[in-house]
Amino acid sequence: MIAGTSRNALTGRLETTGIWLLLVAGAGIMFFPVYWMFATAVRPKDEVFSGAAGLIPSSFVWQNFTDAIGRVPFLSWTMNSLIITVFAVVITVTINLLCGYAFAKFRFAGRDILFLAVLSALMIPFQVIIVPLFLVVSELGLLSDYWGVILPRAAEAFGIFMVRQFMVSIPDELLEAARIDGASELKIFFKIVVPLSKPIIAVLVIFTFMWRWNDFALPLVVMMKHEMYTVQLGLNLLRGQFNTEWTMIMAIALLSLVPMLIIFTFFQRYFVQGISGSGLK
Amino acid sequence: MAIAENLRGPAVGRPSAADARRYWLQARRNQLTPYLFIAPNMALFSVFVFFPLLYAFYISLREWSLIDTPRYIGLENYARLAHDALFWQSLSNTAIYSFATVPMSLAIGLVLAIALNRDLLGRTLLRSVFFLPVVISNVATAVIAAWLFNDNYGVINTLLQQIGIGPVAWLSSPRWALFSLIVTSLWVRIGFCMVVYLAALQSISPTYYDAAQMDGASRWQQFRFVTWPLLRPATFLLLILGVIHSFQVFDLIYVMTGGGPGFSTTMIVQYIYQAAFVGSEMGYASAMGMVLFVMILIFTLLQWRGNRRVEDVA
Amino acid sequence: MTTITKRSFLKTGLCAGIGAGAGMYWGAASAQKAASLSMTSWGSPAEVAAFNALIEQYKARNPNVAIKLEVVPSGQYYQQLDTRFAGKQAPDIFRAQYQRIGRYGQSGAAIDLSQYLDAGFGQDFLPSVWRASTFRGKPHALPHHTDTFALFYNAEIFEKLGIEAPRSLDKSWSWQEFISAAKLVKEKAGLNYAFAMNWQNSNAYRWLMYLYQHGGQLLDNELKGPQINTKEAAETVAWTQSWFTDGLVPPNTSLKSSEPVQNLFATGKIAMLLHGDWQIPFIQDQAKFKWGVTYLPRDVAMAADLGGNALAVSRDSKSPDVAADFVKFMVEEEPMRAFVTKAQFLPVRKSLKDKGLVYDIRNEEMKVFLEQSATVPEHLVSTIVMPTWDRFNAKLADELELAFTSGQSPAATVANIEKHVRSTLLV
Repeated sequence: MIAGTSRNALTGRLETTGIWLLLVAGAGIMFFPVYWMFATAVRPKDEVFSGAAGLIPSSFVWQNFTDAIGRVPFLSWTMNSLIITVFAVVITVTINLLCGYAFAKFRFAGRDILFLAVLSALMIPFQVIIVPLFLVVSELGLLSDYWGVILPRAAEAFGIFMVRQFMVSIPDELLEAARIDGASELKIFFKIVVPLSKPIIAVLVIFTFMWRWNDFALPLVVMMKHEMYTVQLGLNLLRGQFNTEWTMIMAIALLSLVPMLIIFTFFQRYFVQGISGSGLK
Repeated sequence: MAIAENLRGPAVGRPSAADARRYWLQARRNQLTPYLFIAPNMALFSVFVFFPLLYAFYISLREWSLIDTPRYIGLENYARLAHDALFWQSLSNTAIYSFATVPMSLAIGLVLAIALNRDLLGRTLLRSVFFLPVVISNVATAVIAAWLFNDNYGVINTLLQQIGIGPVAWLSSPRWALFSLIVTSLWVRIGFCMVVYLAALQSISPTYYDAAQMDGASRWQQFRFVTWPLLRPATFLLLILGVIHSFQVFDLIYVMTGGGPGFSTTMIVQYIYQAAFVGSEMGYASAMGMVLFVMILIFTLLQWRGNRRVEDVA
Repeated sequence: MTTITKRSFLKTGLCAGIGAGAGMYWGAASAQKAASLSMTSWGSPAEVAAFNALIEQYKARNPNVAIKLEVVPSGQYYQQLDTRFAGKQAPDIFRAQYQRIGRYGQSGAAIDLSQYLDAGFGQDFLPSVWRASTFRGKPHALPHHTDTFALFYNAEIFEKLGIEAPRSLDKSWSWQEFISAAKLVKEKAGLNYAFAMNWQNSNAYRWLMYLYQHGGQLLDNELKGPQINTKEAAETVAWTQSWFTDGLVPPNTSLKSSEPVQNLFATGKIAMLLHGDWQIPFIQDQAKFKWGVTYLPRDVAMAADLGGNALAVSRDSKSPDVAADFVKFMVEEEPMRAFVTKAQFLPVRKSLKDKGLVYDIRNEEMKVFLEQSATVPEHLVSTIVMPTWDRFNAKLADELELAFTSGQSPAATVANIEKHVRSTLLV
C-alpha cells in the first residue's frame, strides 16, 4: 500500500484511538455484570441489601467463597458436571466429526434428506419434547445416571453443521490419493481429516463444553437424586432456597464460570480460525 | 495396493473374476462407509430427538394431564389454537422480541467485529470480554440479570436514584420488562455474532480491497460493495440461528419476569411450558409445540431457498 | 423380600391402629419388611431439617427401612413430580398442597389410603383439612400441617409513627384502617412502599380471603355455579388493585413476579408483610429490627385462607404399605408436634391444638396465626380443594395479574374469572 500524507496518518491515529476508547467503554459495560457478581460475592453480607452499597465493596471478604463452598456440596456438583461434560465432549466431538465428514465428503442415497433431518433437530423447542424424552430416558433405566444426560444430547445438530461446512473445503484429491494408497476409510479419517480439522475441533470442544456445562432443563428432570446434581442445578436450588444470601449465590455462580473460562482461554487461539473455516467465507 | 489398483481396474483393462469380486466388495464397503459414519449420530437423534418428537405429536392428539391416562381427542387441540387469544399474543410477543434482538445483535456484532479486526492495543482481551457472556449459563445469566435489574435493590436503580431518577420498575412494568429482557438477550448474543463476523472478515482476501481502492472506492463503498456481500453467508447463518434462538428463549424469562407483568413478556415457549406444567394440559402444549416447530422449519426453509436464489444469481 | 398378604396388611393396620389409639407409635416394626423409599418435598432449610430429623427417628425404629428425602426447588416441584408420574417413576412419598390432592386423587396418582387406616383414623384431624385430603370420601393423603396468613409488621417503624397494631382478633383493623396505616408508613417512614402480599408462584388462591372478607365468594353455596361476577367481587378486585395503583406495594410483587416478598420486609424496604407462619424462622434470622405479627385486616367479615400440605403415597411405590406406614408415622401426634414447632406451621390434629404447643421461636406470634386460622371459612376450603382447582388457580393468577399490572378493569376481571370458572373449574 502507498503511505499516506502525515495528515492522513494523524487522522488515522486519532480515529484508531477514538475507536479504541469506544471499545474499551463498551467492554466496560459488557464486563460490568460479571464484575458486579464478583463485587456482590466478596462484599460483607450486611452491605448487600443496603441501598448505600458502593460500586467497590467497603472491604473484601474472601471468606465468603470458602463459606459458600463449605455450606453447599459445591465440589460434588462440580465433579458431576465435570464427568458429564468430559464424557460428552469426547463422544460428541468424535461422532460429530465422523458424521459431518460423511455429509461433506461422501455421496450417498438420502444424504440431503438426512442432513435436513439433522438440521431440523435444531428447531425443536426443548420444552416440547421434554416429557417424551423423559419417558425414553426412564425406559432405558438412565434416570439419575450420568448417561441419562450425556446420551440424549450427544448428537448435536449445530456441531454437525459446522463440521460439514468446514470439511467441504478439504481437498478431495488428498482423500483420493490416500484411497489409492489403500488406506482404510477410518485410517483416512484419523490420519488425514482429523489433523486438518484442528480449528473446527477446537470450536466443537468449546461449544460442547459450554452446552453441557451449562445444561439445565434436561438434568433438571433426569437427575432426581441430590448427589447427582450438577453445578447449574445446584445454583438453581440455592436461588430458590437461600433467597437473600446473595453473597453465597454470587460466589457459587462465579465459581461455576471458572471451568468455562479455562477451556475458553485454552482453545481460544483456534476459535476464530475454526469458525472462519466452517464455510462462512 | 492391489485393491486400489483394481479399483481403477475397469477403466484400465479387463479385470479377472477375482479382481471383479474384490472390486465389488470394496465398492460396497465404500457405499456403506458414510452410513456407518453417520450411524452413531442418527441412532442418537432417532432415540432422543425424532422419537420424542413423534411422541409429542401423538400426545398433541390427546388430552393428558401427565398423571392420568391420555384420551384421544383428534385434532381438537389444534382447533383450539385458532381462537386462543393468548397463543396469538405470545406469538406476537415472540415476534417483537425476535425483531428487536436479532437485527440489533447482528448489527452490534458486526460493528464490533469490524472494529476488533483492526490492529488495536489489547485486541485479544477486548474480544474475550465481548465474548464472555456467551459462555455464561442461562441460569447464571438470569441470576445476574435479575439482580442487576431488581426493582428494589438492583444496582441500576441504586445508581439512577443517586442522580435523582427512578426507581424504574425494570421488571414489573409492561413497558420496561420487555426492554430489560431485550437488553439482557443482547448482552448474551452480541459476542457470538461478533465472533462469527470476525471469522468471516478474516477470510475475506485483501485483494478485494486493493482492487476497490484502485478504483477509488470510498470506505463506505468498500463496505457496501465488498464486505457486506461477502459477509452474506455469515449474516444468513446468524439470522437463522438468531431466530431459532429467540423463538426458543425460555430460562431467562422464566427467572426474570415469569412472563409477566400481565402477558407482556409471555413468549411462545413460556406459554407452552405454562400449559404443560401449570395448566396440566400436556396435549394442548404439545399441539402448540408442533405448530411452533413447523413454523420455525418453514421460516428456515424459506430463508434457505431465498439465500440459494440470491447465491445463484450472484 | 416377603410378599405382603392380605393378612399382614390387616396385621399392620391393626398394630398401627392400636398405636394410634394409644397415642403411641408401633408401626411396621412388627412386619420387619425391608424397603428403600424415596420422598420428595420442597422446603425452607427449617422444613428440610425437620423432615430429616423425623426420618432418622423412623429409621431408628425400623432399621430395615431406608428413606431418602429429595428436596426440589419449589419453582420446579410440581413439574418434576408430574413428569415423574408420567414416566412411572414417581417417588414413594410426596408432599402436596391441599388444593392439589383432589387432582392426584382423581387420577389415582396418590393412592387410596383407606386400606392402611382403621376406622375413625380421621377423627382427630381438623375436618377442613381431612376433607381436603380425601377424594370421593376416601383419604388419598394424610394431612400433615396447615398454615395461614397474618400481618407481619416492623415494630420500630410502628412505634416511631405511633401506629398501634391490633392486639386481639376482635379488634383487628378494618380495610380502611389498614390502608391508612399503609399510607402513613409510606409518607412518614421514608419508604418507597408500605407493604407486600405473598400471592406469587401458585399462591393466587390466597386472594380469595379478601373476597370472603368483603362478603363475596367464588362459587355459589352448592359449589355448582360461579358467584364471582358480583359487586362484592369487583370491589375486592378494585381494592387489591388500588394497592398497586396507589403505590402502596412494590410493583414487582404482583402474582407472576419471582421477587421473594419476605426479603423486602426483612431488609426493611417495606414495613408490613402479608405472609404465612412458616416465614417466621427466615424473618427471625434476617431482620435486624424489632418486629411483630398481628391479625389480618377485616371488612364485613374476617376470613383467613387455608394453606398447608399433606403427605401422599404414589401409585408407583413398590412398597406402598411401608410408605403408608411412614406417612402415618409423620402425622402421629409427636412427630407432627416436632415438625410444626420446628418449621413454624400449625398442627392439624385437634388433640395437639387443644394441648397447646410451644414453638421453638416466637411463640407469641404463632398464637396470632393459630387464632387467625380459626377464621378460615368452610366454603372457601370446599372451593379450593376441588380436583380442578389447580388449573383454575393459574387462570385466576393471570386475571388478577392483568388487573394489578396492566390496568384491566375490575368488572372485566371478574367477568373473565367467571368464564374460567365455567370452563376450567366446574367441568
